[in-house]
Amino acid sequence: MSGQKSLKLLHMYPNVLDLYGDGGNVEVLKYRCKMRGIELIVTPHYLDTPDIADFSQQDIIYLGGGADYEQQLLAQDLLSCKDKIAAAHKNGVFMLMICGGYQLMGQYYKDSNGEKIPGLGLFSYYTQASRNKRDRCIGNIVIDTQICGGDYKVIGFENHGGQTANVATPFGKVLHGNGNVRGGEFEGYVEENVIATYLHGPLLSKNPRLADHIISYCMKRKGESAELAPLNDKLEEACRKQLLKRLSENK
Amino acid sequence: MRLPKFLTIAFGKAMVKALQLAGRDAGNFPGLVLWTLDRNCLRHFSADCPIIAVTGTNGKTSTTNFLNRIFSSLPGDKKIITNMQGNNLDTGICSLLLQHCDMSGKVHADYLVLETDESHVPVIYKHLKLETLVILNFFRDQLDRNGEVETLILKVKKFLETYDGNLVLNADDPNVARLGLANPKNKNVYYYNVEKYEGATAELYEAGEGRFCPRCGEALVYDYYQYSHIGKFHCPKCGFGNITPDVQMRDLDLDNSSFTFEGERYHTKHSGIYHMYNLAAVYTAAKLYNIDHKIIHDVFENFEVNNGRLEKFECGGSTLLLNLAKNPVGANMTLRLLNQDKGEKELLFVLNDNIADGCDVSWIWDINFSIFKGVTRVITSGTRAYDIAIRIKCSGYDPDKIFVYPELDKAVASLFSTAGNKYAVANYTAVQPTRAALRAYISEKEGK
Repeated sequence: MSGQKSLKLLHMYPNVLDLYGDGGNVEVLKYRCKMRGIELIVTPHYLDTPDIADFSQQDIIYLGGGADYEQQLLAQDLLSCKDKIAAAHKNGVFMLMICGGYQLMGQYYKDSNGEKIPGLGLFSYYTQASRNKRDRCIGNIVIDTQICGGDYKVIGFENHGGQTANVATPFGKVLHGNGNVRGGEFEGYVEENVIATYLHGPLLSKNPRLADHIISYCMKRKGESAELAPLNDKLEEACRKQLLKRLSENK
Repeated sequence: MRLPKFLTIAFGKAMVKALQLAGRDAGNFPGLVLWTLDRNCLRHFSADCPIIAVTGTNGKTSTTNFLNRIFSSLPGDKKIITNMQGNNLDTGICSLLLQHCDMSGKVHADYLVLETDESHVPVIYKHLKLETLVILNFFRDQLDRNGEVETLILKVKKFLETYDGNLVLNADDPNVARLGLANPKNKNVYYYNVEKYEGATAELYEAGEGRFCPRCGEALVYDYYQYSHIGKFHCPKCGFGNITPDVQMRDLDLDNSSFTFEGERYHTKHSGIYHMYNLAAVYTAAKLYNIDHKIIHDVFENFEVNNGRLEKFECGGSTLLLNLAKNPVGANMTLRLLNQDKGEKELLFVLNDNIADGCDVSWIWDINFSIFKGVTRVITSGTRAYDIAIRIKCSGYDPDKIFVYPELDKAVASLFSTAGNKYAVANYTAVQPTRAALRAYISEKEGK
């Protein structure tokens, strides 16, 4: 099928980093691509398994969130991919990272047991979790982002013990919830081809414009039209309206 | 604050009386008050009979109800105290004990059968002498309340390190089976499982939890999966797994809901592989108490929990099957039943995000909706009706066939506006309102 448009997504550790339905982000991207006649080809990268994927040929690299124990298990394997991931980032591959994936791309993550897991050091931020396992930022969260060519409210659910500091360019301004630190002003980390965030939900499920922003970016980078045909997003729109109203009322 | 025992009990009982006189539910409140005054208030209670507790993510209420029915069927007028309605936290169990104890805090009964929340096992049985603990499974459930699954398992494991009572464990769940190693001195560990059945798969079919060996961290190898991560597993490195069960359910025939335990054929009212695992746990626990097989036959054959767990409703020629689902594994089990039904059907999904539900609804993305067969219409309801609608849409289901009615009575009316078979899934705080809405609609419709 030579005429078929396609995008390639590398899903890092899909069977380990998949807490809180984060795999749903890939499903949303796949769905929204498919509705535009774009095939999203998903390749997994598994722990301690030789790579089937060429990192440099990807359009999107995706990492979800995981439990502390699981993050420790894969730290070594992830470090072995450091150069390939750093090269992809530099080449403009879109990097979407949620929670644990967000933390592991920074300098380090010190977990609730005091165990320090080295990050890939792609970005300057670092994360420390409270030693008290109960001390977590949990709840619905709304942030104001400047992505998608203007103000776009991004809705999700945060659940993290880690407090992330030294964030140069945050993803959004917190309107409701905590963000990078308890009671914080900002959430996540962003670059032109990077979104790293604590938002589960999964992130893209209630923020279809964000999903389309990623798809558009990748199509444009491939030299194809970034215009995407509108979809029937009535359910998403109604969902956003209901939640934004509810969350603004019980602030 | 540490109150003297007599005062604690007297005060607690007075609260129970007052609530009962006022016609209010005393299921949780008195225990909550005592707990607020004294976090160790359970130490004031004791029981003169065996205590049997059931814990695990899915199936606690059903298993507890079955065990209660079995003990209640014993000859003689046996007094069984149980929390059938699922008040399974320390405060709920404290309230239950207050209703049944004497002024010295002593509970007189023949058996105490207590459904117990996983995270409350250590707190409660630090104070109450437990004779038998049944552990069913550990799945992802309400993660933001319980913390990650691993944290929860470690909590239970720590309690078991000094526990030497009967321990009934699911041999096919690595998260449960590992707990048999917690106290090597405990000689009273019993494993159960279900023999490989026709629906078993070679690959993981639904979201699962136990991927790595709890002893050495190596990836576990599965011979087969029965459902989710329940199946026959072993660790290629340290040999953990391949457990020979003490009790095995064999020759499972899901079409006729029949199976064999120790050479005897049994029947049950319901289908579904997870129901069978619950019954295997029930059988193993009953065996420890030398229950007459006639009683087990009778209870398996005739008893239904009917509390939003595989509950049937009839309305104008339509049959509806309602099943509680608090997590992906529970929901996937209902979808399996829906797919076993070869004809066309409609689905109602009621999703709430109240505190008891865990607030976070992202678990619905771990439900495998792409396997839907013959579903002609989906209706969603609850405080997160739109979330579940979006989830089903993104699995590839036509959004024009999804109807959102956040209010339950409207959802139920829409569901019954067409003929045919119906299935309903409701999460924890949604299940009782859904039952109420169904009953109200049906009684009005049938003019009862």
